[in-house]
Amino acid sequence: MRILIVEDEKSLASEIKQFLEKEEYNCDLAHTGNEASELIAVNPYDFVLLDIGLPDYNGLDLIKEAKEYQSEAYFIVITARGELEDKIKGFDLGADDYLPKPFSLLELLSRIQAITRRKFGQQMSIIEFGDFSLDTTKRNLQFKDQSVDLTKKEYKILSYLVLNKNRVLDRLQLTEHIWGDFFEDDYDSNYIDVHIKNIRKKLAKFDDTIRIKTVRGIGYKFED
Amino acid sequence: MIKLKLKSKLAIFNAFSKALIITVLVLLIPWLVSNISIHETDQILIQKLDQVSALIDSLGIETFIDIDAEFQSFGSYNILKEEFISIEQIASDTLIDVIEFSQRIIEEEIVDYRVLSYSINENENENNYLIEIGKSISTIYLFEHNLKRFTFIFLIIVISLTFILDLSVIQYLLIPFGKIVKKLKLTNHPSSFNYTSVKTSTSDFAYLDETIHSLMRKIELAFNDERDYISNVSHELLTPVSIIQSKLDNILYENNLPENEMIKIFESKKTLRRLTNLVRTLLMMSRIENEEYILSEEVNINNTIQNVINEIEDKISVKELELKLELNANDFIINGNENLLFTLFYNFINNAIRYTDKGHIKVESIKNNNQFVVKISDTGIGIQDDKIPLIFSRYKNSNDKKDSYGLGLALSKKICNYHKIDIEVISKVNQGSTFILRFPE
Repeated sequence: MRILIVEDEKSLASEIKQFLEKEEYNCDLAHTGNEASELIAVNPYDFVLLDIGLPDYNGLDLIKEAKEYQSEAYFIVITARGELEDKIKGFDLGADDYLPKPFSLLELLSRIQAITRRKFGQQMSIIEFGDFSLDTTKRNLQFKDQSVDLTKKEYKILSYLVLNKNRVLDRLQLTEHIWGDFFEDDYDSNYIDVHIKNIRKKLAKFDDTIRIKTVRGIGYKFED
Repeated sequence: MIKLKLKSKLAIFNAFSKALIITVLVLLIPWLVSNISIHETDQILIQKLDQVSALIDSLGIETFIDIDAEFQSFGSYNILKEEFISIEQIASDTLIDVIEFSQRIIEEEIVDYRVLSYSINENENENNYLIEIGKSISTIYLFEHNLKRFTFIFLIIVISLTFILDLSVIQYLLIPFGKIVKKLKLTNHPSSFNYTSVKTSTSDFAYLDETIHSLMRKIELAFNDERDYISNVSHELLTPVSIIQSKLDNILYENNLPENEMIKIFESKKTLRRLTNLVRTLLMMSRIENEEYILSEEVNINNTIQNVINEIEDKISVKELELKLELNANDFIINGNENLLFTLFYNFINNAIRYTDKGHIKVESIKNNNQFVVKISDTGIGIQDDKIPLIFSRYKNSNDKKDSYGLGLALSKKICNYHKIDIEVISKVNQGSTFILRFPE
């Protein structure tokens, strides 16, 4: 997978690069719109992370250009302006997803993975653990051929944990993933804990070896 | 004060001034004309007197009067009784020379005359005679009456015609003015102003139009500057936050830190999140102040509340609260901004959940005599009476012990003002609070 990171803040760009490279993605950096434009013209990227607040370029024009080069890259638009018009314009011009600054790197990764799963269809959209299978297209969970009854939010939490197995997910990341960017300020609340408790209960009915580990003071981790 | 259109004011003034002219002329013209006719009649009477005097001088008074008769008099009138002449002897030697109105009975008919009376002294015989020459004035009266009628009708016609003409000319002249006013009325935001000049040959209107254009350009510029400024400030603030957050994320993923350090980094992330929310809320408030949100979306309030509930009901069940949802107002559709209204209900319901530990949260939509009302009530800790006025101010929070930055309700208040929604708060400590949102009718 080849990703172009278009971000004028060099420090941010290199953090994203460092993170994604650890996840086995090949990353190129462009700090200006012109650089990005040249790179898109000659390289077949799978993803372009595009900060639309570039000093020399209207970021949305880059999407237009890329479409003209018949680039098959998926565009994830990043903006600090959070302007709704930008969001709508972005989707109109063919942006595939949208992230408001600041975002957690894990959220970025999960957006990339979600698009990838959509792209590769069936074989990647089902994730198995134990005798459970999680269908990310149908958004449901099955144990062997029985369906496991989860609420929407429980499904979201579980799939996020499973997709990031062996990684600690902190409460903020879980909150951000589940509630999006509402003006949510109840991080210390136990909503996530209650949901996890319920998920554990529901899974244990079928298989009590599934481990969702509590990481004290931070969050949770799904272990294989 | 009653406000009228310039056009109407001019029309009313026009009508009044014309009515005044009619009244004056209808009263004045017949009076003037009859005076002139009477003056002319008098001239004729004087001429006739001269003729009669000449006859008497040349022929002698005896021609007219039998001197020896006991009652000496002469009288003559024409068949239609338009004129008469009479000469009679009078005792007094007072000189009489008057012209006056007088009624005479001729053949048992009362006739109005203008009568010239003139006394003469004949032949030094100490006989005094009075000559009276009369001319009927019924024709003058008739003429005056007709004149009154016709001037009235004529003036009404002339004035109606000029009134209509004036009105259409005023209307025509004011067309550019109307266009300028309409342009302003259609402008609810400087960016939607139509900068095409209004065609006019009136220099005042052209000046007005140009002045409005130049002012509007200045406003638009200031407006855009302000928006860019807010947008840039938010970019400038959120970008560094984003950099720090990514760095902290990367440190956490290295996964080789001792537990204590991990927790510290997580705590820093939480602080960063607080900062982000603060910036976003302030940004949203500035944008509302700047009227950047479009208010023309058709929002179904029941649906919006339902969406908020879908998003938030987990929190209600986690706290084991009961949710009473009574969305009874039908066709609760208003023009507004869906995003802002979502945020508004989210804030209120979220607050209700936050400050309630047992009991229920109740959300109702009601239609009260054409007015839509949303009520959000809880059985939570309530608010002290003296703190109620403070809850919507920035940075003042009546529930000090809870972790909140006092901006949520300030933002909600702003959203309400923006949509002209009236908020009422009823609260009793330890019994709960009710927020009543009254939508404009």
